[in-house]
Amino acid sequence: MEMPKIVEELKPFFEPKAVAIIGATNKKGKVGNVIFENFKRNKEQGIFKGNIYPVNPKLDEIEGYKVYKSVKELPDDTDLAVISIPAPFVPATMKDIAEKGIKAVIIITGGFGELGEEGKRLEREIYEIAKANGIRVIGPNCVGVYVPDTGVDTVFLPEEKMDRPKSGPIAFVSQSGAFAAAMLDWAALAGIGIGKMVSYGNKIDVDDADLMDYFIYDDQIKVVTFYIEGVKDGRKFIEAAKRITKVKPVIALKSGRTEYGAKAASSHTGSLAGADVIYDAVFKQTGIIRAEDFEHMFDVAKAFAKCKLPKGDRIGIITDGGGAGVMASDAVAKFGLKMAQLSEETLKFLKENFPPHAVAGNPTDVVGDTDAQRYKIAIEGFVNDPNVDAILVIVLFQVPLLNEMEIIEILSEYAKKSEKPIVAVAMGGKKTEYYAKLLEEKGVPVYPTPERGVRALAGLVQYAKYLKKIEGE
Amino acid sequence: MKDEALKVINDVLSKGRKALVEYEAKQVLKAYELPVPDEKLAKTLDEALEYAKELGYPVVLKLMSPQILHKSDAKIIALNIKNEEELKKKWEEIHENAKKYRPDAEILGVLVAPMLKPGREVIIGVTEDPQFGHAIMFGLGGIFVEILKDVTFRIIPIEEKDAWAMIKSIKGYPILAGARGEPPADMKALVDMMLKVSKLVDDLKDYIKEMDLNPVFVYNEGEGAVVVDARIILK
Repeated sequence: MEMPKIVEELKPFFEPKAVAIIGATNKKGKVGNVIFENFKRNKEQGIFKGNIYPVNPKLDEIEGYKVYKSVKELPDDTDLAVISIPAPFVPATMKDIAEKGIKAVIIITGGFGELGEEGKRLEREIYEIAKANGIRVIGPNCVGVYVPDTGVDTVFLPEEKMDRPKSGPIAFVSQSGAFAAAMLDWAALAGIGIGKMVSYGNKIDVDDADLMDYFIYDDQIKVVTFYIEGVKDGRKFIEAAKRITKVKPVIALKSGRTEYGAKAASSHTGSLAGADVIYDAVFKQTGIIRAEDFEHMFDVAKAFAKCKLPKGDRIGIITDGGGAGVMASDAVAKFGLKMAQLSEETLKFLKENFPPHAVAGNPTDVVGDTDAQRYKIAIEGFVNDPNVDAILVIVLFQVPLLNEMEIIEILSEYAKKSEKPIVAVAMGGKKTEYYAKLLEEKGVPVYPTPERGVRALAGLVQYAKYLKKIEGE
Repeated sequence: MKDEALKVINDVLSKGRKALVEYEAKQVLKAYELPVPDEKLAKTLDEALEYAKELGYPVVLKLMSPQILHKSDAKIIALNIKNEEELKKKWEEIHENAKKYRPDAEILGVLVAPMLKPGREVIIGVTEDPQFGHAIMFGLGGIFVEILKDVTFRIIPIEEKDAWAMIKSIKGYPILAGARGEPPADMKALVDMMLKVSKLVDDLKDYIKEMDLNPVFVYNEGEGAVVVDARIILK
């Protein structure tokens, strides 16, 4: 596969040989200090393999690191600059960066276009320098980049206040820095693996479309999630989205669902077209899955990260509690999926192997006195049934005869060997949460309610349908 | 196609107008082979009588004025005219109504159209989004669009699969598919229309701001569809 230019251009942001931290300082809590500490820590732990060059005209060294007085003095292997100096000084620094030949710049500093005309003017100046010198810019007004595998971490929220998630197959792109930071912290707690995070703030240069094109060729990334406030170049976004959704799923959370333009429109159609319906249209046409909220976004992302794609929309439900099964069935209808009609063979197989009081059907209820082996029979039946496209297994770990580790093994084994996606639902408290985490670590996505489990499956089905549709062309 | 449509558009622009009257809008649609009724613009009562005779009664009269875009509010549409006598009377009436509604109304003529048999009503529209460009809208007409806002959008250009997905995605789809023993509507004709609108707007995106084909009558499967009223707003 021939790599497009964008892959080369963005590579230094994610795996730099040497990073210049412009505005690095030894004052604790300052942005330039937190970013320096992040790189230093990751270097000490052997995660960040590149060189670290703090830049600050007033200092000679920070914690044993030589400080460079200016960009001009930087060693020639510098291929990424992270800027956290005040906005008015950024254009001059950009000129030095251009002269030095550094081609990737993250501008963390705020106080640009979001504040008004003067800020916008500064942005234009920076953009023009970048454009003329082939420099790619992330930001300004952002938290930048987080890559757990290479140790790039420009998130200026200190580690003691914000946990960092482990690595994984999910890319997370956020316009908002605050949301990005909060989500990383939450993902760390939820055990969700983030392979790459980019927060681009005012995005004067690198935008969603560039990142989508990059992630096409990033083998680590299996699913891309976006938090979007607004798109600047709509056509570029559409084209890039169409390219990436051919090979990887994309989930977007779009905020700002308010209507605009309704008053100004002179046609009926114009009065009905708010920003939101247009985004809906764009997402539908490009195969992007639209998330209702951040839970939805990561629920679906988790399913993509761990599951195979279903062949159709017929859902099979296995449960050890009747009520949870009914809730799941309701959710199947709510999210436009179908309840699978089990084949005669499957029903026969289940009845033959079940005690008389367990219910063979869809949902199949293994009931409250179940052990792990009864679950295994049910899963075996569903996996082999050609009428079932995806399987939701509700495990109430609380039932007395169920060996938790045994059911976890069974689920993870079937999730691995079956061609069908299998997701689990575990409702409960602290103990359930403990086992749910173990199950997830074994490769099965687990959801806290039947509705969220089914909604995640609906995301898989939606994307599988989109792929089928474009393959038909 | 494009040249014919551009001729109409440039003509309107040269008169300093941004809104095409129904007659002009339909000329643009016709240039792209969209189905419009067999109708003519009469400048005089005699012409109207002649055209009505050619079409055969009953006919419809619609007064065309760039200053009056809401024709039913101004009461300048006369439906189901059965004979010459009635036509003469209605001709006077709609001219008086136009004057009452907008004394300064410039009158381009009166559209003499056949009385169409009713069909299921749909709306096909176009709007321009500042980020994504032109988008096409589809929905059922009448109260479905007015009150329930049961419409769906896609960015132009669309493909055939998009058009089908649009039709099937609205809540009122069963009405088109045939509810309560009714035969299905000619959805293929709608898909064809939507693709033609998409091409038209893609060709003329530098000129067109918004567009309403409202209503469009769609008949039973195999019997086609027709644009009953149309409005185009230029940039």
